[in-house]
Amino acid sequence: MSTHNQGTELDLSWISKIQVNHPAVLRRAGQIQARRPVKKEWQAAWLLKAVTFIDLTTLSGDDTSCNVQRLCYKAKYPIREDLLKALNMHDKGITTAAVCVYPARVCDAVKALKAVGCDIPVASVATGFPAGQTHLKTRLEEIRLAVEDGATEIDVVISRTLVLTGQWEGSDFIKTSTGKETVNATFPVAIVMLRAIRDFFWKTGNKVGFKPAGGIRSAKDSLAWLSLVKEELGDEWLKPELFRIGASTLLSDIERQIYHHVTGRYAAYHDLPMS
Amino acid sequence: MAATRAGPRAREIFTTLEYGPAPESHACALAWLDTQDRLLGHYVNGKWSKPEHRNSVPCQDPITGENLASCLQGQAQDVAAAVEAARTAFESWSKLPGAVRAQHLTRLAKVIQKHQRLLWTLESLVTGRAVREVRDGDVQLAQQLLHYHAVQAHTQEQALAGWEPMGVIGLILPSTFSFLEMMWRICPALAVGCTVVALVPPASPTPLLLAQLAGELGPFPGIINVISGPASLGPVLASQPGVQKVAFCGALEEGRALRRALAGEGAELGLALGAEALLLLSDAADVDSAVEGVVDAAWSDRSPGGLRLLVQESVWEETMRRLQARMARLRSGRGLDGAVDMGARGAAARDLAQRYVREAQSQGAQVSQEADSHHPLQVPWPVVVASPFRTAKEALALANGTPRGSSASVWSERLGQALELGYGLRVGTVWINSHGLRDPAVPIGGCKESGSSWHGGPDGLYEYLRPSGTPARLSYLSKNLNYDTFGLAVPSTLPAGPETGPTPAPPYGLFVGGRFQAPGARSSRPIQDAFGNLHGYVAEGGAKDIRGAVEAAHQATSGWAGQSPGARTALLWALAAALERRESTLASRLERQGVELKAAKAEVELSVRRLRTWGAQAEAEGQTLQVAALRGPVLRLREPLGVLAIVCPDERPLLAFVSLLAPALAHGNTVVMVPSGACPLLALEVCQDMATLFPAGLVNVVTGDRDHLTRCLALHQDVQALWYFGSAQGSQFVEWASAGNLKPVWVSRGLPRAWEQEAEGAGPELGLRAARTKALWLPMGD
Repeated sequence: MSTHNQGTELDLSWISKIQVNHPAVLRRAGQIQARRPVKKEWQAAWLLKAVTFIDLTTLSGDDTSCNVQRLCYKAKYPIREDLLKALNMHDKGITTAAVCVYPARVCDAVKALKAVGCDIPVASVATGFPAGQTHLKTRLEEIRLAVEDGATEIDVVISRTLVLTGQWEGSDFIKTSTGKETVNATFPVAIVMLRAIRDFFWKTGNKVGFKPAGGIRSAKDSLAWLSLVKEELGDEWLKPELFRIGASTLLSDIERQIYHHVTGRYAAYHDLPMS
Repeated sequence: MAATRAGPRAREIFTTLEYGPAPESHACALAWLDTQDRLLGHYVNGKWSKPEHRNSVPCQDPITGENLASCLQGQAQDVAAAVEAARTAFESWSKLPGAVRAQHLTRLAKVIQKHQRLLWTLESLVTGRAVREVRDGDVQLAQQLLHYHAVQAHTQEQALAGWEPMGVIGLILPSTFSFLEMMWRICPALAVGCTVVALVPPASPTPLLLAQLAGELGPFPGIINVISGPASLGPVLASQPGVQKVAFCGALEEGRALRRALAGEGAELGLALGAEALLLLSDAADVDSAVEGVVDAAWSDRSPGGLRLLVQESVWEETMRRLQARMARLRSGRGLDGAVDMGARGAAARDLAQRYVREAQSQGAQVSQEADSHHPLQVPWPVVVASPFRTAKEALALANGTPRGSSASVWSERLGQALELGYGLRVGTVWINSHGLRDPAVPIGGCKESGSSWHGGPDGLYEYLRPSGTPARLSYLSKNLNYDTFGLAVPSTLPAGPETGPTPAPPYGLFVGGRFQAPGARSSRPIQDAFGNLHGYVAEGGAKDIRGAVEAAHQATSGWAGQSPGARTALLWALAAALERRESTLASRLERQGVELKAAKAEVELSVRRLRTWGAQAEAEGQTLQVAALRGPVLRLREPLGVLAIVCPDERPLLAFVSLLAPALAHGNTVVMVPSGACPLLALEVCQDMATLFPAGLVNVVTGDRDHLTRCLALHQDVQALWYFGSAQGSQFVEWASAGNLKPVWVSRGLPRAWEQEAEGAGPELGLRAARTKALWLPMGD
């Protein structure tokens, strides 16, 4: 990550003064999805842009080097070359923003990316993911090990015990959830987070990034997320340094939509390579 | 790979991430216009009517200026034909069981559902409003309105027993309206059994399409008739025999003019004027959400009017920053583009907004930052006029300090503050932490100069009902009535012979501010009994006395309105007991007016009963509505009108006085009353008890020349409502003069009323007219 949140004096009055009206935020969430349809070549371009925000993720207990390798290949070649050519976008070097794996798989990912000649970062979840309920000491050690293995981005699970008791932590990026909860990235929650990011920027000049994760599966969803960020924060946040989408299956749906846009036909599942 | 369908722009868009157009095809709207050969006439009695020798106006795409169709300009005979069709249809439609009407309305909802694409593209094409708003908002709500009112029709016989449909309803719509405005009014009218003639501005095809869809449903073709024509046909429509009510929505001054023009015409007039809203943002608000409220209220195609924005000083800077940031992200353009917030509405709307902004600038306002909240003009769409306030109390004073009162939203996360403001705002609708929510079950209306008609909910139904057995409303226009001189001069009165009568004589004076006062004119008028003898003298009240009485009444309003219903009951019952004690005096005074002793006693008894009945009803007001789209309740509050002026009839000097007084007080109003002219002495007897029982100013009784006092009251800008029971000419004058502050008036049109009967003397109509409704939306969430 290029910029870092330089931090600021913790002023809890900022937090205590925040007012969030739940029904009003729900209404806004409903509106934002309906008010900005993106069609035709705009849709194709937006979808390709969405690809560049994806933290292509695998976080399964049964991950091995072989599926991590496949994931990394997909991260390097997210959209079929001929489709990109048809859109005249083949020379844009479109890749996903990063791959995201468990700490134990960082080594595999770094190796695989190197093999395909791809310099995108490897992100690792760490610190007792997804609950974060381990000792501070082991959590710090986990981060250290992941970095040693070559991870350049760490998704830290904050101690929600501390948050719920009013003891906040700072960060460069904030993420809607681990993606492993029953409810993950929802628009109302995102609206509240984005407004907090904007307020923090207005107060301190620091830009904090935003990463929704979990449950973002369709191309249509990804468009709504893009326009949500565009509406609430503006275009300056629409770059991989400040916006990521944590997803695993989203990419294949985007590729299907691009296929349809280019060919006018709906793709069969075997028409597109799996990740 | 097959030939690429992608345009060359993908590369560019990939970099800029701009929005593109999301155009909605309007082919079906054009195809429908083609079925009419691009010539639209009227839709009357289930058929298109395109009479010859009419002027026509082009219906244009507001963006491209492209001619879409020609629309005929109706003339008086077209209106007459439509009213005739509606009258014929009323004969059968009104006699159907409610359940059958319900079925028909449901079928209409289904037809709208089937043809919704045509509806929304046509509406968006010709009005320029954002298609998303029409598609996701208006068309859906139109169907919900039909369903809701179908249910009301179904239960009409039980739920609305004692009421009958008025008859033919004339509907006059402004040039900047959504077809939804028409639906809000025709649905309740049709549900209760009325039939409708709508006068729409030329070049509004959507109402014609709706009428066609309804007409093609079959058996009841004449229930909706649409005439397109200029606003000048409004009075023609209103004066057609058979038209029982005219519902008008539009600009304030047009409404005022219509009120004057229709004085003395038979039809009742329901006004809904102006579209300006208010948004009140406190320092305890979720400011970002409130800014979205501003977008809903002014910068979207949901609202036709502008917005007055009141912001607490401590969050002013923060709010303005967010507001401007949000403003920068608004998109406007062609309404048929699915990705715009506001459709371009053409030159007229733009000119109006520009004119307003220029004028505000010339008065020192900073555009997009600050402006004077006391700007006299109504704020046009999509202008927002913001001004700061210091405390919630001041906010309330600023908000209520305008003659308008349609709708407002309050943004505060402090429950107590939000409710305090919500209850305190004198408007028809208040949304807490939301803006512009609508539901068929929730009445929408206004107060003050925004007009006092209602649509939706229970109140919307009563707009088109009258108590069963009420005679049809006919024109009682007296052409030679001179509004300038009516009641202007008071004939002089001289001593009229020796005084006799029961002792003690009632105290001489006007009952104002809780005590008897000498009139400003320092003269008196003799009152004769039924046998031609002098019954007594009463004070000759005049303009100054009315002024004093209204002032006294105003001073008592907040105290009385703030009383608990139980306290109001107790006071009315105390007066009832006092009248019982005074029975013999009252009866003997009635005897002198020619009433037999037995009947006189019965009248006193009945008067006592009226006080008790209304006293008991003070408790049962308001209700909670449950709305489908909302988590949380909507409160339907019944609030006092304020100062209610009542001119009592000459007949039944005691019973009529009490029958009118009791509901007015029970609903929390303070009153200025002009008692029977023939025998004001009975009312003055009652005043003696009120002097000891009631808080000062609650009831004020002014005797004198009825026409003169009526004139003073009707022209008084600070009287909130007026009931007039007297001559036809007086009624006509009252209707005309009420245009000043658009106070709701109830006039007898010179007709007698059976005060001794339950329906007319103590029926629900009195209660309905004695208070106004307010809807308070309370969305909930953690």
